[in-house]
Amino acid sequence: MLNRSAFFLLASFCIVVAFSFECHAASLPNEETAVCLGCHDNREMSLTFKNGEKLPLYVDSNTLLGSAHKNLGCSGCHGFSATDHPKRQFKNRRSFTISISESCRQCHSFKKGIHYRMVNMLTQVVCADCHGSHSIKPVKESGDSCFGCHKYGISVTFKNGSRQSLEVTEEALKNSVHNKLRCADCHFGFSSKEHPERNFQDKRNFTIITSETCRRCHFDKYTKTLEGIHFNMLLKGHLEAPVCVDCHGSHTIGSGTKEKIRSAQRCQTCHQDIYSIYSMSVHGKSLLSTHNQDVPVCSDCHRAHDISDPRMADFRNNIPQMCSNCHANEELMRRYGLSTAVLQSYLEDFHGVTVSYYKKQKNAVRHIAVCTDCHGIHDITRTKGPDASIVKANLIRRCRKCHAGASESFPDSWISHYEPNFKRAPLVYVINLIYMIFIPFMIVGLVLQIILHIWRYAVNR
Amino acid sequence: MTETGKGDGEYIRRFHPLRIIEHQANAIAFIVLVVTGLSQKFHDSSWSDWAIMNLGGIDNTRLIHRYTGLLLGYLTFQHILIASYGVIAKKWMPFMVINIKDFTDAIDNLKYYFGITDSPARCDRYDYKQKFEYWGVIIGGILMALTGLTLWFPTKVFHLIPFLPGQIIPAAKALHTNEALLAFLVIVIWHVYNSVFSPDVFPLDTAIFTGKISKERMIHEHPIEYERLTGVKLEDHSEKDVAETEEEPDIKSAS
Repeated sequence: MLNRSAFFLLASFCIVVAFSFECHAASLPNEETAVCLGCHDNREMSLTFKNGEKLPLYVDSNTLLGSAHKNLGCSGCHGFSATDHPKRQFKNRRSFTISISESCRQCHSFKKGIHYRMVNMLTQVVCADCHGSHSIKPVKESGDSCFGCHKYGISVTFKNGSRQSLEVTEEALKNSVHNKLRCADCHFGFSSKEHPERNFQDKRNFTIITSETCRRCHFDKYTKTLEGIHFNMLLKGHLEAPVCVDCHGSHTIGSGTKEKIRSAQRCQTCHQDIYSIYSMSVHGKSLLSTHNQDVPVCSDCHRAHDISDPRMADFRNNIPQMCSNCHANEELMRRYGLSTAVLQSYLEDFHGVTVSYYKKQKNAVRHIAVCTDCHGIHDITRTKGPDASIVKANLIRRCRKCHAGASESFPDSWISHYEPNFKRAPLVYVINLIYMIFIPFMIVGLVLQIILHIWRYAVNR
Repeated sequence: MTETGKGDGEYIRRFHPLRIIEHQANAIAFIVLVVTGLSQKFHDSSWSDWAIMNLGGIDNTRLIHRYTGLLLGYLTFQHILIASYGVIAKKWMPFMVINIKDFTDAIDNLKYYFGITDSPARCDRYDYKQKFEYWGVIIGGILMALTGLTLWFPTKVFHLIPFLPGQIIPAAKALHTNEALLAFLVIVIWHVYNSVFSPDVFPLDTAIFTGKISKERMIHEHPIEYERLTGVKLEDHSEKDVAETEEEPDIKSAS
């Protein structure tokens, strides 16, 4: 039994192998190719260049069969045949590739378009770099071949003469959040076939216009930027105002929110002065020294896309809410032993009430003291410990801005963010306490008298 | 307090027209202060928002509050001057001065309410309830004016009295805001009850509008003054009251 089945297996295997060889030989396109492959089917065979580089001379028949050029004989490109097989010497592998690419021009004459520019202007790129050699495919089937050219140090020259590298490394793209996208998703209208020639004034012009492509997916962010100060500056002709890629990067684009330090450093690119002040503040120090992710960075207060002008009243009147995003958060503040009563105690005070109404009225003209006036803006300091004196010194200066002639004891009229208690503000505490007892006592007494009066009246009737 | 009219048929003159004007001015100022002030005190509530936004914003509201405060302060000041002048120079009778009888009257009235005695306290021109309100308005008015000015001119206070601690400003605010609430509640509960909803005067005690009071109410509420004005002794009336009140508990106990 076993012998019989083994025999059948062996026999069928032999038939399949024989048949496949038969097919193989029969499908080779022409005699010449078959002759060449007679030798070049050898995996061991190679050519050594002058510089010692080796080029395998093996040609895989299947690759050849899949190529667009399968019907050309080897001599169609190589000029070699079995009878005419000159020995040639090349400096290195690259010069061999460049030399052999010349033969493409026998059939493909590039008179215009991207190929013309590539081949005539950028001598370091040759046809085979993009299209391959023996594996050459019809353009339709060749997939995304942008890297074919853009992995080389090709560059573009702008109208003003400056140059910009067009090199894109696969490595950079792999690490970006857009690694699933195709080049043409962002570079709309570009492909190996369609490669319109565009002319930009300069690099900045190119960056700004290219950035417009982001809105095709991120329309929500784009509309936000329209309200932002950076876009407005751009409109006014300040071309240095940042566009999407200036902050997010282009091919290396990463997630916008994950790393707070990186986020702050993006702003630092232009706002160096403020960044260095911030880095000395209680928030900045904590971020930079301990990578604390709880602290606010630029975008937490100024927002990322719809950045408003911090000199406007709207921004100013929103500061208490801004700070309270963290400072009224019980869980967060407990970690640092800070009180969350700061917001409420401010809002209950004169200034807080005024600011709240200015927000609603939208016609505020006066600058009412908000958190940053006493605590600092980018240079926010601790209110306890050695920095407390700085806060105190800021206070009297800030008071005098509105309350001209305020005396030295005037800032004490702000009993900090504490609930009045017997130690800190005995007078306020006692007054509140007396009325807390007296008002209910009085009201209950009066109401009782009224009820008694009505009752007596009813009884008398 | 200053003028006591003569018996005029069914009605007796109780208030001089100037006192009526004074009361009305006080009432208007008080209402404006309550609206503009309490809406600041309870700034979180929606009706405060409504009031403040309709008054043209927080700055306008404060402006109205402060100048109305000045008016009320002025009225209080003027009243004290006139009353002092009247009592000292014109020998007006100091009806508003609190005396021991006011306390005994209050206790007597309570006894009456509880059914321990059979008749209410017999009062003069102003009963203890009215004196309580009057002195509340005078003392409260002075307090509110002083604390209000402190809050209006917070830096000037320290120039005026340099040794004051900074705490005086929040203390003034605490006093102002608490006293305001107390005054508001007393007026809304006590004054409005006594002059509108009390069964004695319902639907409205018109004395402060017409300046006149009916003889009947005068005899009932201010018997001592009535006796002094007319020279008539009211013993019969009180006896009659006693007789009436005696019947009632019987009915009550029967039921």
